[in-house]
Amino acid sequence: MVGSKALVKRNKGALSWFLQRITALYLFVFLIAHFVIMHFTGSGEVTYQAVAPRLSSPLWKAGDLLFLIFALYHGLNGLWQVLEDYTKSRGLRLFFYSLILTMGIILLVVGTVTIFSVKV
Amino acid sequence: MLKPKWFYPSYKKDVGEWAWILHRLGGLALIFYLFLHIFVTNRLAAGPEAFNATMKALSTPVFKFLEWGLWGVILFHAFNGIRLVLVDFAGASKYQKLLFWIAFVLFLALWIPAAWKFFL
Repeated sequence: MVGSKALVKRNKGALSWFLQRITALYLFVFLIAHFVIMHFTGSGEVTYQAVAPRLSSPLWKAGDLLFLIFALYHGLNGLWQVLEDYTKSRGLRLFFYSLILTMGIILLVVGTVTIFSVKV
Repeated sequence: MLKPKWFYPSYKKDVGEWAWILHRLGGLALIFYLFLHIFVTNRLAAGPEAFNATMKALSTPVFKFLEWGLWGVILFHAFNGIRLVLVDFAGASKYQKLLFWIAFVLFLALWIPAAWKFFL
């Protein structure tokens, strides 16, 4: 019983370890491209008129949606790893885990609304 | 007893320890920024006037300086992250110190000159 529980936990850790690195590779390319496009190309001024043409394309919407999901997963998974390192009480961990999950869902909804607010 | 890794890093005293600390601090800064970023970019859903007004309010010299700082945090976390992926997936742990310095030079080389775009 205890053994199988420990195994499940270990596997879960391995999966999040693996996904942290896979999402890292996507973020490396997409986040750097995102920042360069927003700040180093064009006038450098962020306006609706500058952003909307890209965001109205289905391909950019798909890329941005994946960007949103991967960034949230990577960031919140990282935050969870940090919090797990500094807390040992079960209750406190459960509290942080619920908080992270709730924030993740809220941010995913808010971000998705943003992406689809610019019409094709 | 779980000892906080912050005070008891498992690494021996070399650049890897500094990389670990900076990667963790940078990651925390980035997830904090992502929270704000997702809510601010949601102003797109409020239409062109509202979005442009918000962007204008966020383009003061203080915010420009913070954006340049953000670019630095992104670059360090990104290049050190690639180093970690190479160590974990490509068996490059023998070269982790060399890889740190390569990542550090790339970070400085792309970060420092980028200042002109934010301050000029």
